[in-house]
Amino acid sequence: MNSAEVRLQALSKHYHRVAAVDDVSLTIEPGSMVALLGPSGCGKTTCLRMIAGLVSPSSGDILVNSERITRVPVHKRNIGMLFQNYALFPHMTVSENIAFGLDMRGIGKADAVKRVGHALDLVRLADFGGRFPSQLSGGQQQRVALARALVIEPAVLLLDEPLGALDKGLRESMQVELRALQRRLGVTTVMVTHDQDEALTMADRIVVMRDGRLEQVGTATEIYQRPASKFVATFLGASNLFNGTVERRNGGETLVTTGAGLSLSVDGVAADARDVVVSVRPEAVVVNRLNGSSPPQNVPNTIVAEIEQVIYRGFISHYYLKLQDGQELIAYQQNQTRDVAAAYAQGEKVIVRWDRSSNHVIAKD
Amino acid sequence: MNRRLSGPGAWILYFITALLMVFILAPLAVVVAMSVSDSYFVSFPPQGFTLKWYGKILQDRDFLAALQLSGLLAFSTTMGSLLLGIPAAIALTRGRFPGQDLLKGLVLSPLIFPALVTGLALMQLLSAMGSGDARINLLIGHIVVTSPYVIRAVVTSLLLVDYNLEDAARTLGANRLKTFWRITLPQIAPGVAAGALFAFMVSFDNYPVTMWLANSEYSPVPLVLMRQLVNVFDPSVPAMSTVIIILAVVGVLILERLVGLRRAAAM
Repeated sequence: MNSAEVRLQALSKHYHRVAAVDDVSLTIEPGSMVALLGPSGCGKTTCLRMIAGLVSPSSGDILVNSERITRVPVHKRNIGMLFQNYALFPHMTVSENIAFGLDMRGIGKADAVKRVGHALDLVRLADFGGRFPSQLSGGQQQRVALARALVIEPAVLLLDEPLGALDKGLRESMQVELRALQRRLGVTTVMVTHDQDEALTMADRIVVMRDGRLEQVGTATEIYQRPASKFVATFLGASNLFNGTVERRNGGETLVTTGAGLSLSVDGVAADARDVVVSVRPEAVVVNRLNGSSPPQNVPNTIVAEIEQVIYRGFISHYYLKLQDGQELIAYQQNQTRDVAAAYAQGEKVIVRWDRSSNHVIAKD
Repeated sequence: MNRRLSGPGAWILYFITALLMVFILAPLAVVVAMSVSDSYFVSFPPQGFTLKWYGKILQDRDFLAALQLSGLLAFSTTMGSLLLGIPAAIALTRGRFPGQDLLKGLVLSPLIFPALVTGLALMQLLSAMGSGDARINLLIGHIVVTSPYVIRAVVTSLLLVDYNLEDAARTLGANRLKTFWRITLPQIAPGVAAGALFAFMVSFDNYPVTMWLANSEYSPVPLVLMRQLVNVFDPSVPAMSTVIIILAVVGVLILERLVGLRRAAAM
C-alpha cells in the first residue's frame, strides 16, 4: 500500500461565527499514525470529518501527497473511515459490506471476491462472510468495518473513536491489533480519541487539541514528559502543578520557591522569567516516613506533607497529600510489601521528595 | 421488552383488546353479511344466502368502470405521492434550512384541515387554472391528500436511520444518489411501504375530495357507491363494499409479505 502524506494548512471551520476548528496546520508523515486527542468539543472530530470530506472547511486547505483535495467531494477522495458505531450496512452480509466500496469503484466481480476474501483473512474473519452484522459481536463488527475501510486501499485511514463502544479488555487487545495491522500495511492513519491511553498506546504522534486549536504536537514521550501547557499536563495523566517565583540562578540551574516554602531546582527557565509553573508527575513523588526525625530545611524538591487519603490500587497506591499552605499533592507509588499502604494513618506527617529531573517548567498556561 | 404478560392484568388487557377488535370488525361483518342476503332490500340479519348480488355488480358497467378508475387513480396517486413525499421527507429530516419546522407543520396540514374544505379549495383553484380533465384533477387532489401520509411514514423511518451509514457509504465511493438507492432506501423500505399502502387506501375510498373533483364521466367507486345507495338500496351496495374490504385485506397481506406488517406498523 502506498503511504500518503496528509497536510492541513490553516484549516478552520466556523459554525455561526463560533470556531469549531481554528487555524490548524499539521503535517502527517506518510505511513504514520497520528491521534487527535482532546476533550469533547475541542474540534478533533470536525478536523477528521474535514479530512474525510464530510464537513467542508470555512477556510484553509487539505493536501494529500501535495495535491489539494479541499474541494474534492467525499466519494472521490479514496478515504477509509471507521465510525464509532461501526456503521455497517444492516441489510447486507459481511461480504457485501466489504464489497460495497469495490462495487462503487467498478471493480469486476471475480477480482472483488478475491479482495474481499483477502480482507476477511486480514481481520481474521474468514468464515463470517455470509453473516449479517447483527449476528456479530461488537469486536467482530469493528473488524468488518476495518476490512471494509481497508479493502479499497485508501490513501488515508480515518478512525473516529474506533474502540469507544467496546468493553475495556477487548478495547486493549484491539488497540494492539489495530496498531500492528496499521504498521504492517503502512497506511497513513488519523484517529480521534478522548482516551489518553488509546492515544499513548496507538499513535506515533499525538496532537492535543483544545477549543479548536492545536495545544501540543509530539510523540507520546514528549507530550507526557514535557507538556507544553497546564492543560496538557493535566489532560494527559495527572500532574502536580506548583506556582513559584524564581529565587536565584546558578548557571543552568534555577531555584524556584513556592508559597508552601518548597524550593524546586529546575532547568530551562527563560532568562527574564519571574513567575513560573512547575509540573511534577505523581509517579515521580516518593513518600517516606518522618520516623521522628526533624523535617529537613532548605533541601530542594523535598517537603513535609500530611496524608489525606491512601487508595490501594493493586500494584500501586495513590497517596492524596496536603502541603502546609493547603496545596494538594498526589503521589503514585508501587506497593513493595503487603502492609505499607495500610500503615499510613490519616493526618500522619510524611516527607515527600523527588528527583530534580522530574521538575518540568511549563511554558504557557 | 419481550416480557410476556401474565396475571390478572393480562386478562384485563386481553379482554379490552378483544372488545376493541369486535368494535372495529363488527360493522364490517354486518356489511359482508348483508351482501349475501337473498332479498331485494338491505336487511340485517340476512335472509337466506345468495351470491347473486356479486354477479350483478360484476356485470354492472358503471361499477366496473369505477373500480378500474379507482384502481388506476389509487395506483397513480400512490406513485405520485411517493415521488413527492420521499424527497420531501429527506429534505425535512436531513436538510437544514430556514422555516423547516413551519414547513413540517404545513406539509402535514391536509391531515388537519377538513378534507371537504381542501376539496372545495382545490376545485376552485383547478377550475380557475382551466384544468378541465377530471382524471388529472382527481390525481392532483388525491396526491394532495395522500402525500402527508407518505411524508409522515418516511420521516419517521428516516429518523431511525443512522446517518453514519450514509457517511460510510459516501467515504466508500458512493455519490448521493447511489447512497440513497443502496443504503437509505433499503433502511426506510418499511416506512415507504406503509406510506404507500396508506396512500393507496386513502385514495381508493376518499369521498370528500373526490366529490368535488369528479364528474359524471369519471366517477370513482365511493361516488358510484353513494349514488347507488341513494337510488336503490339493494344488497349490491354491501356487495361493492365487500369487494373494497377484500381489496384492502389483500393489500395488507401483500405488505406483510413484502416487508413484514409489524415493521411497517411501527412506522
